[in-house]
Parts: sequence; structure tokens; C-alpha cells
Amino acid sequence: MSCSNLTMLVSSKPSLSDPSNLSFRSVLNPFQLPTQNPASCTPSRSSSTQIQCGLRELRTRIESVKNTQKITEAMKLVAAAKVRRAQEAVVNGRPFSETLVEVLYNINEQLQTEDVDIPLTKVRPVKKVALVVITGDRGLCGGFNNAIIKKAEARIRELKELGLQFTVISVGKKGNSYFIRRPYIPVDKFLEGGTLPTAKEAQAIADDVFSLFVSEEVDKVELLYTKFVSLVKSDPVIHTLLPLSPKGEICDINGVCVDAAEDEFFRLTTKEGKLTVERDVVRTKTIDFSPILQFEQDPVQILDALLPLYLNSQVLRALQESLASELAARMSAMSNATDNAIELKKNLSIVYNRERQAKITGEILEIVAGANALQ
Amino acid sequence: MTLNLCVLTPNRIVWDSEVKEIILSTNSGQIGVLPNHAPIATAVDIGILRIRLLKDQWLTMALMGGFARINNNEITVLVNDAEKGSDIDPQEAQQTLEIAEANLNKAEGKRQTIEANLALRRARTRVEAINVIS
Repeated sequence: MSCSNLTMLVSSKPSLSDPSNLSFRSVLNPFQLPTQNPASCTPSRSSSTQIQCGLRELRTRIESVKNTQKITEAMKLVAAAKVRRAQEAVVNGRPFSETLVEVLYNINEQLQTEDVDIPLTKVRPVKKVALVVITGDRGLCGGFNNAIIKKAEARIRELKELGLQFTVISVGKKGNSYFIRRPYIPVDKFLEGGTLPTAKEAQAIADDVFSLFVSEEVDKVELLYTKFVSLVKSDPVIHTLLPLSPKGEICDINGVCVDAAEDEFFRLTTKEGKLTVERDVVRTKTIDFSPILQFEQDPVQILDALLPLYLNSQVLRALQESLASELAARMSAMSNATDNAIELKKNLSIVYNRERQAKITGEILEIVAGANALQ
Repeated sequence: MTLNLCVLTPNRIVWDSEVKEIILSTNSGQIGVLPNHAPIATAVDIGILRIRLLKDQWLTMALMGGFARINNNEITVLVNDAEKGSDIDPQEAQQTLEIAEANLNKAEGKRQTIEANLALRRARTRVEAINVIS
């Protein structure tokens, strides 16, 4: 009987150690090991005291895991609510983006015959690149922040190999703290992210980028952010922000155009109590401009007014997608943490019950031994 | 005969309904738009948009620069930011204006002066938007 107890205790250890990385496990071990030997060899009162300590520690541990589970579950639900709100912000911004793309496309058609020189669309030989890196403000969201920082590091290595200079504009506390600790990476500006991206924040970034590019301090501006693909998948991407394509297209670093006129957006719905993501492809209709359209000012002036709007819109969209991705990652991470806590609680309960059973068995043996002694 | 006015910012739709008339600040001065206006595309300056409602009331809106398109009695205004005059807090706007004026006096260097000038124009526009024409 004592032999079977020992084997069960030994078998329970691997399952206990696997889900748990906490250092608290090492505190449990000294209590477990001494309790086995005295219990199997000679039942005595000192062994019952140690068993009692072990049981109390286990009970405390179970309570602690329960509390952690409540916290992670609450964080998961909060992140889910915020994802929905972030999605609404993206949807609210859509009419502006659609109209802007439409207007840019049509005006550009009107200006095809004219040779228009616009600073934001000027393509220069690239000697220096600015990287706008968008990270989150808080952790507990899986590999979200690490993924974008690794992407930035990889891009920096590529630029070094190409012999190009670079500078970084860091947005978000996680990125800021990373680059502050690395003085060898030149940083033009550190910017704080907010809880919800606003046009003013995007304007601050766009203004900084605008002045860098127009003053020819940099020849190209790239935007690194996490693109929201679905609730379970996010994709760190690099888009070329400046120089702008006159037709209002977004290009990635390889020159492949990501046409903004065709835009997938994701609708969060609740099916049978579970969150799902439905995809709709929205094709922006291009209405023909009137051929007798007059320009109040010189076309260059009009495009000068339009393109900064477009720049601002692109930056804001990147901020919004990054936030949605961060919240989705946090939702996933907290969901995993909750599942781990449940499993850990189950394992600890099993160990606790076994310890309790062993203690009761020991006490019964003492009683039986005492009765035998009386005879 | 009415106009359809749509004012869009990157965050939201500020205005989307029918109006009788608007007065818009463009880069080359103010223009009034009545029904059956010729198709036009214009850059919008930082300034006041005055809206005449169907009931002949006037509303003011502070626009922070952008673009406007008029076509087939539909006016589309794309701006970086816009605020209705009724939504602006008078005291806060006045304080912002005073701060902007102080910053302009302190500004050193070309870049700071340009930025301070822009901030001042924005603040002044918001203050002007509060005062409604009766």
C-alpha cells in the first residue's frame, strides 16, 4: 500500500512541473520529500506536523492560482471589448479614406497631361531611410511587441548591409524603452501612444515625417506596424509611407502595390456565445468626376493640400490596426493563461487530495497500532 | 433646391445632411456655395465654415485645413480635424489662444516659429467658431 502511494506521488510530479514555471514549485518540494519517507517508514507525530504544513501550502497555492485565473479571465474579456471598439474606430474612419482615395485618383487623372512637381511624391536616390516603428504601451500580449521590434531590427540590418543610413521614430512605450537601452540605434523622436489613436496623434507623427522628408534629411520613410488580419493572426508589415504614389496607392518595401481601393474589413460578431470574425471585401466605387471640374487654385496647391491629408490618414490607419492587433494578441494571451490556470488548479487539487488521503491513512494506521498494543 | 454637405475627418463623419448655403474658407479666400454651383475642387485653409440650415439658422464649424469638392450639388469636405462651434468650450479655447500667443512670442528658430504660427491660427479659428452670427 505504501509502495503504491509512492509511485502515484512520483507520477504526479511531471504533470505538476510541466504547466508551472513559477518558482513557488521549489518551495513545495522540501515539504513533499520529507513527508514521504517518514510516512512510509514509521508513522509518527512529527510526520503529521510536516504533512499539515504541506497541505496548508498546497491550499494556499490553489487559492493563488484561482485568483490568477480570475484576473486573466477579466483581462481577456476587457481586451475583447476593446477589440470591438477599435474595430468601430476603423469603420468610422472608412468614409474619409474611401473619399480621399477616390478624389486623389480622379484629380490625378485630370492632371495626367500636366507636369506636376509635388514634394511628397518626389522619388530621390535613397541615402537615408526613416523607420516609424509602432509598438504597444503595455505587455501581457504574447509576442506582439517582440514581433514588431524583431522586424525593425531585421530591417535595420538590411539597411546596414545596403550601406544606407537610417533613423528611427519610435511610437509606444515598449518600443521607446527598447530603443532607449540601445544607444547605437539613432532615434529621431520618441512618441507616446494613447489608449485610442486620434487624428492629433497621427498628425504629430505625420508632421514629423513630413518635415523630415521635405527638408531632405531623409529620402524615404517606411512605416512598421502590425497589420490586423484576424483575431488569431497579426502580421508585422513594412509599408513605404513616403514618397507617396501620386495615384494614392500604398506600396510595400518591394514596390508591390497594396491597393487601398480594395479593402477587407473584419466584422466581429457573436455566434452562439463565441466571438467570430467575418470578412467582407469592400470595393470602393469610383465615381467619374465632371469633365468641367474647375480648380480653385493651381493643381499643385490642391495636391499639396490633399497629400498631407492622405499621409495623416495612412498613419492613423496604421495606429488603429496596430492597436486592434495588440488587443487581439492580449485576448489570446489571457485566454491561454486562463486555460493554463484551470489545468494547474486541477493538478494541484489532485495532489492536495492525495496528500490528504495519505494523512488520513496514516492516522488510521496509528489508531490500529494503538488498539493492537492494548491487546 | 438644397445642397448635400458632408464633412469628413480621419476619425469620423462630422456632418452629413442637407443645407441651404455654405461659406467656406479656401486657400484663396472665402467662397459662398449656393445650389447649382459649378463643379469645383479646392484646398481648404484653416478657418471657419459657416452653414446655413434649412430653417435659415447659421452654424459655424472650425476646420483645420484640407480639401473640398463640389459636384452635382454635393459638397464633400475632407479635413484633418473639425469641430462644431457648439461643441467648443469657450474658456478652454480662450486659454489655448493665450498659450499659443505666448508660445509665438517665445519661439526661436524658423521651425518653431512656423509651428507656433500654425498653433495660433488653429486656436484663433476655434475661438472665432464660438461666436455665432445671429
